[in-house]
Amino acid sequence: MSTINQPAAPSRLAVPELLVGIGLLACAGAVAWQTLAIPVSPLYSKVGPTVFPYLTMVGLAVLSLLLILAAFRGGWQPEEEKETPTDWKAMGFVIIGLLANLLLIRPLGFTAASVIMFVLVCYGFGSRHTLRDALTGLILALAAYFGFARALGVNIGAGFIENQLNAAIDTIIGALGG
Amino acid sequence: METLGHLAHGFSVAFTPMNLMWCLLGTTLGTAIGVLPGLGPALTIALLLPITYQVAPEASFILFAGIYYGAMYGGSTTSILLNTPGESATIVTALEGNKMARSGRGGAALATSAIGSFVAGTLGTLGVAFLAPVVVKFALAFGPAEYFSLMVLAFITVSAVLGSSSVRGLTSLFAGFVIGMIGVDLQTGQPRFTFGSTELLDGVDVIIAAVGLFAVGETIYMASRRYAGKDEIVPLKGSLYMTAAEWGRSWKAWLRGAAIGFPIGAMPAGGAEIPTFLSYAVEKKLSKHKQEFGTVGAIEGVAGPEAANNASAAGVLVPMLTLGLPTSATAAIMLSAFQSYGINPGPLLLTTQANLVWGLIASLFIANVILVVLNLPLIGLWVRLLKIPAPHLYAGILVFATVGTYGISQSPIDLVILYLLGAAGFLMRRFDFPTAPVIIGMILGPLAETQFRRAMTISNGDWSVFYKHPLSLTLLTLAFIGLVGPHIWAFIEHRRRRGTEHVPGDA
Amino acid sequence: MLNRRRFLMSTAAASAAGLAGLHHTPAFAEGAPQIQIFVPAAPGGGWDQTGRTMDQVLRSEKLISGSQITNVGGAGGTVGLPQFISQWNGKGNSLMVGGMVMVGAIIANKAANNLTQVTPIARLTGEFEALVVPAESPFKTAADFVAALKADPTKVPVAGGSAGGSDHILFGLIAKTVGVPAANLSYVPFAGGGEALSALLGNQVAAGISGFGEFSEQVKAGALRLLAISADKRQDGIDAPTLKEAGIDVELFNWRGVFAPPGVSDADKAAMITMVEAMAKSDAWATECKNRNWTSILLTGDDYAKFVAEDSARIEAILKDLGLA
Repeated sequence: MSTINQPAAPSRLAVPELLVGIGLLACAGAVAWQTLAIPVSPLYSKVGPTVFPYLTMVGLAVLSLLLILAAFRGGWQPEEEKETPTDWKAMGFVIIGLLANLLLIRPLGFTAASVIMFVLVCYGFGSRHTLRDALTGLILALAAYFGFARALGVNIGAGFIENQLNAAIDTIIGALGG
Repeated sequence: METLGHLAHGFSVAFTPMNLMWCLLGTTLGTAIGVLPGLGPALTIALLLPITYQVAPEASFILFAGIYYGAMYGGSTTSILLNTPGESATIVTALEGNKMARSGRGGAALATSAIGSFVAGTLGTLGVAFLAPVVVKFALAFGPAEYFSLMVLAFITVSAVLGSSSVRGLTSLFAGFVIGMIGVDLQTGQPRFTFGSTELLDGVDVIIAAVGLFAVGETIYMASRRYAGKDEIVPLKGSLYMTAAEWGRSWKAWLRGAAIGFPIGAMPAGGAEIPTFLSYAVEKKLSKHKQEFGTVGAIEGVAGPEAANNASAAGVLVPMLTLGLPTSATAAIMLSAFQSYGINPGPLLLTTQANLVWGLIASLFIANVILVVLNLPLIGLWVRLLKIPAPHLYAGILVFATVGTYGISQSPIDLVILYLLGAAGFLMRRFDFPTAPVIIGMILGPLAETQFRRAMTISNGDWSVFYKHPLSLTLLTLAFIGLVGPHIWAFIEHRRRRGTEHVPGDA
Repeated sequence: MLNRRRFLMSTAAASAAGLAGLHHTPAFAEGAPQIQIFVPAAPGGGWDQTGRTMDQVLRSEKLISGSQITNVGGAGGTVGLPQFISQWNGKGNSLMVGGMVMVGAIIANKAANNLTQVTPIARLTGEFEALVVPAESPFKTAADFVAALKADPTKVPVAGGSAGGSDHILFGLIAKTVGVPAANLSYVPFAGGGEALSALLGNQVAAGISGFGEFSEQVKAGALRLLAISADKRQDGIDAPTLKEAGIDVELFNWRGVFAPPGVSDADKAAMITMVEAMAKSDAWATECKNRNWTSILLTGDDYAKFVAEDSARIEAILKDLGLA
């Protein structure tokens, strides 16, 4: 995926495209492997559960071979795309943000995890007002959380923040209703 | 005439201040939940079912109908502005709609979608009121063989979204088949492609896939290209609403979309996605502005599918109200609300509960009016969403996607799937693979497979069902014409042009 | 502009909160406990409705002060079950909704956990199944259907719910009882009741099996003919024999019940059983059951545990015959 290709004759081997083609061929292999793992009972054998997977596997394999062939002929990426350097840092922050959300949503709850993701993604996109970003994210996440939890009765992953707020709100409602 | 009398009576039920308030509340709430990916009308109505303990049946059905129609409007708003479809029926809207939004015509896209939804929703509701018995007869004639042939017809839509290379487009389609096959095989109960994971037994939700491929993939791609300065969003260019030319291009698409959406929505396994695919393909084929598809965004490609999904939403009500047949998740939940009033929905519903049914139909008309009145002035506001600075916009989209995905299932596995598909979406964007065929493959692949195998089970392995049923044969013929027709047409054109070239030479 | 969007959303949410406030406004019955209800299915389905109806009735009967419902959906309950076993261990104020579908899913999905690992509290409701044919069908009685099945099962396609679900199980049991090998059956699974119903109304299949409630209105309207029901005895207002009366010795309830987590104290378990019993005997519960076509088949504690074990064994055997276990 790196940008090693120099402007060259069109017949030159395009490495990134070749990797894509090989990756897809591997996917076809995985499909074949998983299809073999489908238990086919002797019943229902008219058109069993493996017929369509096999057809798909063959189609995928043929297509990936065509792509590999195209890679050997110089690939298909437009010049513009090849020449633009990848901003690894920005992309890295976005990906770290996503991973942080994934890992923290269980232990910390939805709101906290969302705020952390929001801040990291904002930073990746070049914002340097981290405190303001955190606040924006917090308001957004809380609005979403309470929209679900309070209006519809669906609990979307409460953590410390949510529990404190819920307790506070219940106290207020209790006092008002009491 | 009798129908008109019923309808007039229905309006008298719906036009009480209280019921109008319920309708307004329903449409507002529906729009809000339509915006959130993953939270659809079915789920919202299910969660609001306890209301049925407190209010009269008319009021709660008017509320539910408002939510149902409102969700269709809300879903298209995020599709157009954020490339994050809120409902599966609005995935196609994102294709051209978001392109339009990025090139400064977001206002026009939202307007054509709102007005198109109104037009098609109204036509569809008229269809519910006047054509229900005819349509339902037609819908019941659809067996597995016919459905399979309909899927085959729908597959020709793929050619409309293949992008610059058919090899890459078909690769996307086949990838969609694989993702669509994940989970328990409905026909035999065997798990497929689950890698031993229990969470995957129910398959991958098409909304999660669409949000992952479109929105998350887009966000990662934008981050990787931050300094390249391309794909800048132009918030607004020209007038906020539609220009005369855009009106001219929209209205035929609305009518065609409605004509495609209503009957398919009325079919027991029709759904709302297939008519949007078909409408998109038809519009692209008929458009005089083909170069705008996939580049700056063609307004027909928004108008048609939006009309189709709203007409199909009305179509779903046909079997529900005439036969008590729930053909979508939302209809099933609404029927269970009937039950909590002790009303048993069935073929006798129309006669035993005429008040309720006609009140509901009348409130659908009102809901449509309220929605278009509510949404048109909001367009100015929505379009300004595009002016949010990139960091907040993209971070917000990711939070949004998380709410919808994690909120319902509470399963981190769904987030993993969302992000993996996001990564795939990024690579596809980077290497110029179109993403829309993945979604088409995911929806159509399993449907086609199921219907094919079902037809074969019923016919005990006899292939002739596909061409011996007249309806099925008609659909297959249409598909064949759709696939081969353009080539033959091009060939004839080619011959004719060459022919005319010869004439002056000879003379 | 985020502000305005948030504003719009929160107004909508707030109005909804007003509506649905009944979810959360605690009714503060003095001394009544707060409970947790775990629904191993997405909101909207049968278990979810059972859970939410329980919440309503328990509160209106002042048996609890409020409840929190958690949905963890997927794979017939086998995604939620392991979570309930591991993360809810010992929580004496918690109940999980479950039922026959879960028993089947545990076997068919070869799940690592099963219902012997949780604490059975009570079986609450059941839905008996119905065997129907289109109005134009040549089958007038269950005996006609069985005769055709015996002659050539591949010529009698039967529509029902998902493969391995209660409808499929009943079809398997019927075939087994009348001596037709399960391997030859032509079962056509549909994802939802509506789709199976339309295949019947469109006369595309020979017969259909599903919960009685799915078909009752069509039967009343004369679009479908009811051949038999799977209940234990004749039901008031239903003009059809049970399978047993029709000479097929099969009885099946698609039952739903509640379970406490593993590791709860005997006192907690007894308290839960008392509470659920009081609920199931209330008039409010009876009304709900009537509206929803549920048959109340209350069975508690050890009797219930014994029933779950027996039913599991029976289902496992039939799923093996059907090639699903």
